[in-house]
Amino acid sequence: MNRVAIVGAGITECRGRWVEATYWDLFQQATRRTLEDAKCTAGEIDSVVYGIYNDMFEHQAIPESALTGIIGMSCKPGTRVTSGGATGFYAMRTAIMEVASGVSDLVLCIGGEKATDCFDPQSRTATPMVIDTIAKSWDPFFEYPLGATASDSYAQMCMGYDDKYPGDIGDSTVRAKIIEMLCRQGNKNPFGQRRDETVTVEQVLASRWIIAPFLRLLEACMYTEGAAAVLFASEKKAREISERTGVPPIWVKGIGAANESYQAGRGGAYKPLWSIVSDRVAAERAYAMAGVKPSDIQLVELHDAFIAQFMITMGEMGFVPLGRTRKLVDDGVMADIRELGDTKRPRPGQVLINPSGGLIFGGHFVGGSNMFSMWSARREMLKRQIPLALIHGTGAINAVYGGAIVVELESGGAR
Amino acid sequence: MILGEVWNLPREVSEVKGKDPGTYLQFNSHMVTFYKQTYGELSRFFLALREGRLIGSHCPRCKQVMVPAATWHCPTCDFVEMKEIDLPHRGVLAATAPITIFPSASFIGDAPFARGYVDVATDAPIASFLPLRLRTTTGLPRPGIFVKGVELKLVFEDERIGSILDVFAVPMSEVPAKLRDKQPLLASQLDFAKPRAPAVERSKEAETALAEALSAMRALAGKIGKSPRAQKDLSGRTHTIGVKTGGGNFTLRVASSGIRVAEGLPKKADFSLVTQDPAVFTRWVADGSLTDAAVEGKLWLPHKEAFGVLPILDRLPRSVRRDVR
Repeated sequence: MNRVAIVGAGITECRGRWVEATYWDLFQQATRRTLEDAKCTAGEIDSVVYGIYNDMFEHQAIPESALTGIIGMSCKPGTRVTSGGATGFYAMRTAIMEVASGVSDLVLCIGGEKATDCFDPQSRTATPMVIDTIAKSWDPFFEYPLGATASDSYAQMCMGYDDKYPGDIGDSTVRAKIIEMLCRQGNKNPFGQRRDETVTVEQVLASRWIIAPFLRLLEACMYTEGAAAVLFASEKKAREISERTGVPPIWVKGIGAANESYQAGRGGAYKPLWSIVSDRVAAERAYAMAGVKPSDIQLVELHDAFIAQFMITMGEMGFVPLGRTRKLVDDGVMADIRELGDTKRPRPGQVLINPSGGLIFGGHFVGGSNMFSMWSARREMLKRQIPLALIHGTGAINAVYGGAIVVELESGGAR
Repeated sequence: MILGEVWNLPREVSEVKGKDPGTYLQFNSHMVTFYKQTYGELSRFFLALREGRLIGSHCPRCKQVMVPAATWHCPTCDFVEMKEIDLPHRGVLAATAPITIFPSASFIGDAPFARGYVDVATDAPIASFLPLRLRTTTGLPRPGIFVKGVELKLVFEDERIGSILDVFAVPMSEVPAKLRDKQPLLASQLDFAKPRAPAVERSKEAETALAEALSAMRALAGKIGKSPRAQKDLSGRTHTIGVKTGGGNFTLRVASSGIRVAEGLPKKADFSLVTQDPAVFTRWVADGSLTDAAVEGKLWLPHKEAFGVLPILDRLPRSVRRDVR
């Protein structure tokens, strides 16, 4: 396989609703910013991979077809990937494979979502219809008619985990502390949806239950509209672009993915309810390809639907023991941004997690959330000279889809 | 009908303001497809439900049981044909079940409800779990009832159409002994309409707490009288609620855009609430949430209609605060 590098990235502002833009403009904004970042022109790009999750959100089936000309990709190959919450990850995996295989030298990987034009005539608000639209990703024979939604689906995994490991993610105060830390990190993200907010432990503990006892209102990610893009290049192209920009390439060292069975059950190929197996398998595959261990990695941008799941994911990916993921707080494994400021690396044994504010404070424009995470990881690696980072995505019913990418900063990379 | 009457919008274009200056337009639309959706290979499962039977598919090679039968060819054994198997109408909850409070648009009015995965093919070495609605005859779903390992009885709706909602599960402990082996057990044979409220333990501490709660609620009632927002919250609503607590009983009356509290139970209550700790109501007045108390299992409610009143009551302290400011 050929080496693959990330040579540029760009995102739009994350807003609760972009009244001022359709997804056409959001994708063009992200394209423009990415090309500016990489000092490239659209003409140089060989192909584009799109991450768009839900046709109903974009209000158009084949949603990416409307974008081709607008983002300067006329007559280039274009592939649209949709994999629930892990859409961004799988789009990046597709783009990476195009370059690794030698089929393309420069691939624009762009993801985004326009979710909040949905409207519920009963409550005369958007949210119940946004939830219903996502719920249609669950099958029409069993899960959807039972009223399953993304919230209770992820909550089911948390409850299954808590059945097996009581006293870990169930501690509201530990979860509230992580929220407080993420909020401070989100304050430093100039594109973050909630960058102007301050959320304290007390506020989290006083916020309303969405699903007791694992999900309060202030512990959940929001619905966001926005777009983000990442530019992947072959080694030759990466050197050329790096010369132009003066920014070192970030190399893709390992990538792993796993989709568990849709049906939950006991044994065989069924999906267990007490473990996010997809996270663990995807991370292990990424580590194996990259030749690294979790203890080598001090920067993680993970897909946080909610904090209880954030904790399980850090356990499944091997940063803290399963059953004791609360060590993130109790033992200070999660680095505190007040200590690191803008430029410091985490202390040994610590990990900087979701400096972007994550999907909870930064934003969650589903099709592009994992590109948002990649954009942030690259930014932080360059700023703080952190050599390795892990980007993670999760999605679909009971978090069955999982993906992980390990990236490496070119050694000696200038700031 | 699939869509209720309110599921529509006028054909119109309206102005909308965003974050940036300038006027923008938005148009009303829908992206809904109607279906005559075939159940295909799943029809066998739903036909069986209509007959009052629960079936799965069973692989003669690896012995796995899939219920509901999502496929009739085993994906583990080179797609060898699977056989139909009748399953007992009982099982075990595979994992503690989440309770939905804020449903999606299509399920507004259904909450709170519990949905969980039931292990019914408990003899099979490998088996899928059956996703089902979980119901209790003791009031609304709340923490502590649908926990991992609880034994469940499958109950069939009296009228069945061929839907996963034709069947649901109830804790076996709530089923009278003589009905536990009945197949199918019908919903009409259990009593969901009149759930028995839990008992409360009287204590001196709770009596003191009740006095504080009554005082706090009376103060709130007074402020509501001066709060246009709170009066708007209550406008058009009439409820007579009997509340039993560990410190004694009281009546909460909603009428004429206001609230009144009185000691003792009303002669005729619309419904009753039960809580061991009267401080639930003191906390409510201090910007807390009765919905949260219900969700946590601290406040017992008999049915969904009662649950629907709580968000209205929850708004009052905030409305009063905003008007006082």
